[in-house]
Amino acid sequence: MVIVLIVLFAATLIYFFLSERVANFIWLLSVQGALLFGIAFNNLIHIKTLELIVILLETLIVKAIVIPWFLNRLRHKNQLKRVHESKVPVFYSLILISAVLIGCFLMSYTIDNEVIQLRFFTVALATVIGGMYFIVIHKNIFSHLVGFLIIENGAFLLSLAVGGEMPFLVSLAVLLDVLIAVLVIGVFMNKVKDTFDTISASNLSQLKD
Amino acid sequence: MILPFFGISLILSLLIFLFPNRIIMAAGSILFVILHCLLTVYAYENLGSFDTAYFQFDSLSVLLNALLSILLIPTIFHSNLYFKRHVNDVKNESRFAATMIILSTAISSVYFAENIVVTWVSIEATTLCMTFLIFHNRYETPLEAAWKYLFLSSVGIAIAFLGILILATQATSPEGANLSVSYLASVAPNMDPFFLKTAFVLILTGYSAKLNVFPFYAGTIDAKTVAPSPVNAIFSTAMLNAGFIAIFRVYTVINQTPLNSWAQNVFLVTGLISISLATIQLFRIKRYKRMFAFSSMEHVALILIAFSVGKVGYYAALLHLIFHTLIKGGLFFQFGQVRAFYHSGWIKDTGAYLKLNGTGALAFLLGIISITAIPPSGLFITEYMIFKALFSSGYIATAIAVLIMLTIILYIVISKTMHLLFAELPENFKPEAVFANRFEPVSQFVLFFAVIYMGFNPPPILTELINQTIQLLN
Repeated sequence: MVIVLIVLFAATLIYFFLSERVANFIWLLSVQGALLFGIAFNNLIHIKTLELIVILLETLIVKAIVIPWFLNRLRHKNQLKRVHESKVPVFYSLILISAVLIGCFLMSYTIDNEVIQLRFFTVALATVIGGMYFIVIHKNIFSHLVGFLIIENGAFLLSLAVGGEMPFLVSLAVLLDVLIAVLVIGVFMNKVKDTFDTISASNLSQLKD
Repeated sequence: MILPFFGISLILSLLIFLFPNRIIMAAGSILFVILHCLLTVYAYENLGSFDTAYFQFDSLSVLLNALLSILLIPTIFHSNLYFKRHVNDVKNESRFAATMIILSTAISSVYFAENIVVTWVSIEATTLCMTFLIFHNRYETPLEAAWKYLFLSSVGIAIAFLGILILATQATSPEGANLSVSYLASVAPNMDPFFLKTAFVLILTGYSAKLNVFPFYAGTIDAKTVAPSPVNAIFSTAMLNAGFIAIFRVYTVINQTPLNSWAQNVFLVTGLISISLATIQLFRIKRYKRMFAFSSMEHVALILIAFSVGKVGYYAALLHLIFHTLIKGGLFFQFGQVRAFYHSGWIKDTGAYLKLNGTGALAFLLGIISITAIPPSGLFITEYMIFKALFSSGYIATAIAVLIMLTIILYIVISKTMHLLFAELPENFKPEAVFANRFEPVSQFVLFFAVIYMGFNPPPILTELINQTIQLLN
């Protein structure tokens, strides 16, 4: 079961690079949140109820519902439909992200560590690299926010890979921190659009000497 | 003690935010500074002890918190002047003061955190507070700077979190992952070198936005270019120290293993790249605050280089960090006055400052002499110690390269200062618009003379705390 969810998660990562529609990005993030819940629920079923509730909050509520809802509001407010300005053609991006997945898969099996669950680790690492690449190839700041959330999802998957169960309060603080950061980034994105009348990062260059 | 401190700070901040009134704001801010000083004294009295499972009062945290307490006192005064000059809206002022209290609390939390996840959470909190402080005036350029700072810092923090997770794989105890620094240090010799190296590089990369060094320095430099002077006085000092302590905690872990020389090489490479970038960027500098931001980058790079030498460089590095904090804070306070005279932060819009404001100009000159490590600055002593350590440890090529870059930086900074002090008065200068306060340079003279005095005669309490910090690495 878990392996199917992980494969589906990897598929969403590839689909991010195929798509140019902003609505698809949001939908994919929501799907990733739901998949993360499934993976976490299967993997951490033995943990305490309170900690399970935090994970449920983080994945199903925050990642799959709250953040996509918030991003949709941003999309409507800023009238975003398509992202055309990727610096690299889709075909090359697809080849690259596939190569990253294969590379991470090969690298993971060279790691000799009993704590790490390799099936998670492979996709987690590819997701983090994929998120960074997504930020680099896009010029608009909404896509940058999407890339940041992909990295966050990769980090969550990595935390499952290492099986590190943080104390309850610490998990809650991490969850709140990430949520607030995303909301604040979103609010600032609105401000950028209102002030500069665009969300293209190339227009944010007044500070250069 | 630390949890009540957080609670009272939060209440004070909320009171100031919810009841925008200058009396409440002043009383709340003063009360907070007193509370902060009391926390420093309490921490020193209880040196080495834990406060809850997540915080500990160790020598370095006490030292850095004391520096923040010292800087917060003039910050209240200079913030008040900043409000009179640039804000004049009690609601906005209250928001500023409330955020400043939360920021200072979060920075103290970074200092005292004994668990690297708590450090991470506190650093994220500082990012959010700093973003609001940069953008509090709601102009275009601060918005651009705030966005870049927020985004780059958030990505950096996410990368640091990956490093923490990788470290967690190596720190499993029967109760789950234990990420307290003392536990990590105790199990460090048994850790897999590959994972430890990866975690260290990721954490250093992630927190580089806070430390103002390569690779995530760009957002921080932009933010410092537009942040108000009282904010910059904390941003370029206490905030930078927070980034330093976050990396220092991980270094204390890796230092327990044979990988410590590898980590020192990473510091050396980061330091050399950072100082080279700062030197190159300074050639095209057009704004004073940006010049100070790159100057901070240069000093942190020097501290990293001193750490890379090992034990012989530790004392000099820590003393350098302390002196830089005091001088840079003072310089930003003085720059608040410079900006009040010219209504601009651009170098081209300034000139004849010595004629216009003799005392302020003297303070500025003393600050520049101190920050460029010209004798009798305390930084001259620390830089001398750093180069002595580099030469005696056989890093001769590195030392010569760094000396050349420092000479270039010295030339650029002094030439820009000469422009401010002695150039022709700008054509668009309006003398009637100047709002001066005769007590404004006092804080700077106190801070700069303190550094000169401590350079030649470091107080025993300072030496004791630095030596205890070095003990953490042995």
